[in-house]
Amino acid sequence: MIAVLGLVVGVVAGLLVRPEVPAVVEPYLPIAVVAALDAVFGGLRAMLDGIFDDKVFVVSFLSNVVVAALIVFLGDKLGVGAQLSTGVVVVLGIRIFSNAAAIRRHVFRA
Amino acid sequence: MSDHDERPAEAAEEQGDPRENSGDGGNRLRKVLPQEVPPAAPTAGEAHAKPAPALPTAGEARARPEPEPERAPEPQPDAEPRLTGRQRLAQGVWPPRVTRAQLIVAVLLFGLGFGLAVQVASNSDSDSALRGARQEDLVRILDELDDRTQRLEDEKQGLEKQRDELENSSDQAEEARKQTVEKERQLGVLAGTVAAQGPGITMTIEDTKGTVEADMLLDAIQELRAAGAEAIQVNGVRVVAGTYLTDPGKGVGVDGNKINAPYRFKVIGKPQDLEPALNIPGGVVQTLEKEQATVTIERSTDILVDALRAAKRPDYARSSSR
Repeated sequence: MIAVLGLVVGVVAGLLVRPEVPAVVEPYLPIAVVAALDAVFGGLRAMLDGIFDDKVFVVSFLSNVVVAALIVFLGDKLGVGAQLSTGVVVVLGIRIFSNAAAIRRHVFRA
Repeated sequence: MSDHDERPAEAAEEQGDPRENSGDGGNRLRKVLPQEVPPAAPTAGEAHAKPAPALPTAGEARARPEPEPERAPEPQPDAEPRLTGRQRLAQGVWPPRVTRAQLIVAVLLFGLGFGLAVQVASNSDSDSALRGARQEDLVRILDELDDRTQRLEDEKQGLEKQRDELENSSDQAEEARKQTVEKERQLGVLAGTVAAQGPGITMTIEDTKGTVEADMLLDAIQELRAAGAEAIQVNGVRVVAGTYLTDPGKGVGVDGNKINAPYRFKVIGKPQDLEPALNIPGGVVQTLEKEQATVTIERSTDILVDALRAAKRPDYARSSSR
């Protein structure tokens, strides 16, 4: 519950504050957000499976974000940033979908 | 459901499935589960029991739980008191408990929500649609814009050129039309199809004795032409290039029109040239006076030659200048 509250407060704060995104972070923010979403869905699924561990969640969340940003950064340096970020988004999207499918089975039993 | 195959492995990697780190995984599970979901304690034995068979090898650990996610949501046929995912979710959501895990997850989710909102907000700024674009995209967009500008510039130049040509040609057409009209007037004066006006002289030949003949008038006309007469009419008949004079008996025939004395010549030209030309010794005036005719010449600044002649289309002669 508190976690959900944290998410809601974060969205509201982001909408209200509307900070200027630093130019350095700008290309990585969307990928990082998608990676974090993936981690959140994984955590939710683990919770439903009864194997949730906060430490693992924190590590996976942060490492997901860092690795995704790193891949995009590397891609930009190699000149394939657009393609690589597309690939990252595709992979994360597939994972989000599979996690969502598991969550759906738990919640709706279908 | 192709995602079945990879799901358990991912779940293990993602969430750090305790079964993955085979040795102490069970320990952590034991440590964590009771504090995370305390009411699950009665079934903790069940939860432990499940991964226990998977412990021996890590490879089996990944293969083993494969059917588990499918089986888990199914209602247990043997009616064991087992916590379903739905119940766990309900327990997690309500009642709210302030635990370390909840707080940490809340902080992380706050970060996620914040980033999400910021990204959405900055992305939906219509005026800065290019802000989030990466460098190569910007370069590509710039190139495309350059190309487009170049194309439009070329098109503009072509259209301007066309416009100039059209303007020039219409100017030229207008000029040509004006020249044509001007030329038509000049030629019309010569051909006798238009009236003419200008300085000149009026010559009246009184012939009381009837001695004036066509050749005398012809001499007069030729003398006038030699002196630069530009338009001539005699008693209402325009004298042009094809004019002929005859002696039909009484009077004189000009182009088939019979005219009688007095013969009134209206001549446009330079009066200072025309009058002396007629008056030279042994010239027209003296010859006529020798024949008992009286000649009076008046200079005028405004002579109107208004006798007209229909334009005649030549039957045989064609312009060879084309």
